[in-house]
Amino acid sequence: MKFGHIFKERLKSEGFPPEWVESAISYSQLKKCINRLTNELSELGLDPQTLRQLLKKVEDFNAANKDDDKPLEYLLAGQAGLGEQQGGTAPFHPMLLVYVNETTGELDSAHLNEETRHKLQLLAIDTGLSDLRVVELPDEEPDCLPSRTVNNSAGGLRRRPGYRTVEVPLTSDIEFFSTLAAELVGLEELQEREQRRMRGEIERLGKQIARQTDPDRRANKKLLAIWRQIFQIYVESDIFFGTTESDHSARDSEAAVERFEKFASTIASHHLVDQMKREENLRALTAFMDINRNLLQGLRFGEINRIAMTKILKKFDKQTALGVKKTFPQRIEYPDFSQHLARAVCAEVNTQILSHVPRIDDYTCAMCMDIQWRPVRLRCQHVFCIRCLIVMQTNKQHFCPLCREKTVFDANAENLDLEMASFLKKWFPDEVKLKQRHNQLMAGKDEYGEVYQQKCCVM
Amino acid sequence: MALPKRIIKETERLMAEPVKGISAVPHEDNLRYFDVTIEGPEQSPYEGGVFKLELFLPDDYPMTPPKIRFLTKIYHPNIDRLGRICLDVLKGNWSPALQIRTILLSIQALLGAPNPDDPLANDVAQKWKEDQNAAIETARQWTREHAKP
Repeated sequence: MKFGHIFKERLKSEGFPPEWVESAISYSQLKKCINRLTNELSELGLDPQTLRQLLKKVEDFNAANKDDDKPLEYLLAGQAGLGEQQGGTAPFHPMLLVYVNETTGELDSAHLNEETRHKLQLLAIDTGLSDLRVVELPDEEPDCLPSRTVNNSAGGLRRRPGYRTVEVPLTSDIEFFSTLAAELVGLEELQEREQRRMRGEIERLGKQIARQTDPDRRANKKLLAIWRQIFQIYVESDIFFGTTESDHSARDSEAAVERFEKFASTIASHHLVDQMKREENLRALTAFMDINRNLLQGLRFGEINRIAMTKILKKFDKQTALGVKKTFPQRIEYPDFSQHLARAVCAEVNTQILSHVPRIDDYTCAMCMDIQWRPVRLRCQHVFCIRCLIVMQTNKQHFCPLCREKTVFDANAENLDLEMASFLKKWFPDEVKLKQRHNQLMAGKDEYGEVYQQKCCVM
Repeated sequence: MALPKRIIKETERLMAEPVKGISAVPHEDNLRYFDVTIEGPEQSPYEGGVFKLELFLPDDYPMTPPKIRFLTKIYHPNIDRLGRICLDVLKGNWSPALQIRTILLSIQALLGAPNPDDPLANDVAQKWKEDQNAAIETARQWTREHAKP
């Protein structure tokens, strides 16, 4: 199947909002542009084969650093204003330049066949007379700069003594590039709009979740644990980006969708949704899922547009041999729809939503890897659970496990971090209870030996 | 005795996020005993070799370091004939915040940077100091012979 068709189908079938579809790259329109351009070129005798040959020659000359023998070149000029002039006036001005020897009127190339050469000569005379799109460059003083080319700072064109630069009048390529450039700008604007919209949604949802998980409200007690579990699974799913040592890359849309599905099914298998009793909680969860789905769609949309751009440039080159696939992307920043949006939104989700529910991983003791209860803050500011520090002191291990300062040695009751303690008690009531029981058990064993059990056993 | 939470967590993470070039798998019947393999670091005489080790977590781990020993024969100034390793963090410089993965990384680094001035295998260290090139060649040869992947 042709890509143009696939592109159209995907835009139609994947449920993108109509506003997005309108902003998509107009592949078929651009394709028609290319066809018109090919016609224009072949009327001049510049069929792809001829052009390829000529441009190949240019490359060879470039490699040999003798660019004053260049027969012609294709420039994408005027790109600089793209960022500032978003008004739509095409800043792109591609030019196909031919160098004609002024004295003889000969084209600077032996590789053209008679017909093409003739046509181009006519063209040179033609346009020279009508002065329509001829770039006339003043002659160099041959004495000052013998046979050297200099850059004309105004347009980036090279001036060459004894040669007149003639621009081949083409209109379809201007149309092609201005359309494409305008569409890319449009895509970028769309992305910014989407980002703003999603930011608003995320903020609202963040506030809702903050209210629903507020540990000061009794009704929320169970809910806090549920949300925490959901967010824990969410974070571990690494949906949009890897977060491990070995993998921290962005995912493509396919991988992201797969991970999102897995996240959704994990939540389902833990029956977390069933435990949400109140309507407002379910609504918040749905909103959370929707934000993620929205992002996934943005990712997909960005990807197919990117493919469309690459394909259309490839087609342009194939049909005209003007070699823009390499130069065009350097001229213009492709708005990385997907990645930008994903990064921005993920950061937002982190700060606005996930942060409302503290994660246990941020409050574990580096020794037992359990919750740091009761928290003791050493002089070096490192926090561990009291149980591990007691063991260390008993073993006469005096140095902080993290910084090796001799701070375990003189830790005492004053090092208890009361503020941290009340925070942990508030946000992790279940974990604190468990750890408290465990600490007591271990203390009992220290005193009475391995047989000690928590419960009082009456024989 | 029940397995402490710390060992469970460490094992889980080792399985879920293995370190490149290192594997550590606990025995089914003794979750404190691990079969370990370490790949010889690139551009060291041990490159291309896969070395087997055993690792045991004593009862008071992490207050005391894990016990680790090479099972594969290796020609290295800081590793003796019995596979015992001379590495500060496995002895006096152990910290309870270190983990299985960090210790195995240190051992891998030790393969990349032998230290003949703090030897365990005296004869090897002696050779290493006298004729380093010959010692490295022997290490290569031992790797080829004994540490086949």
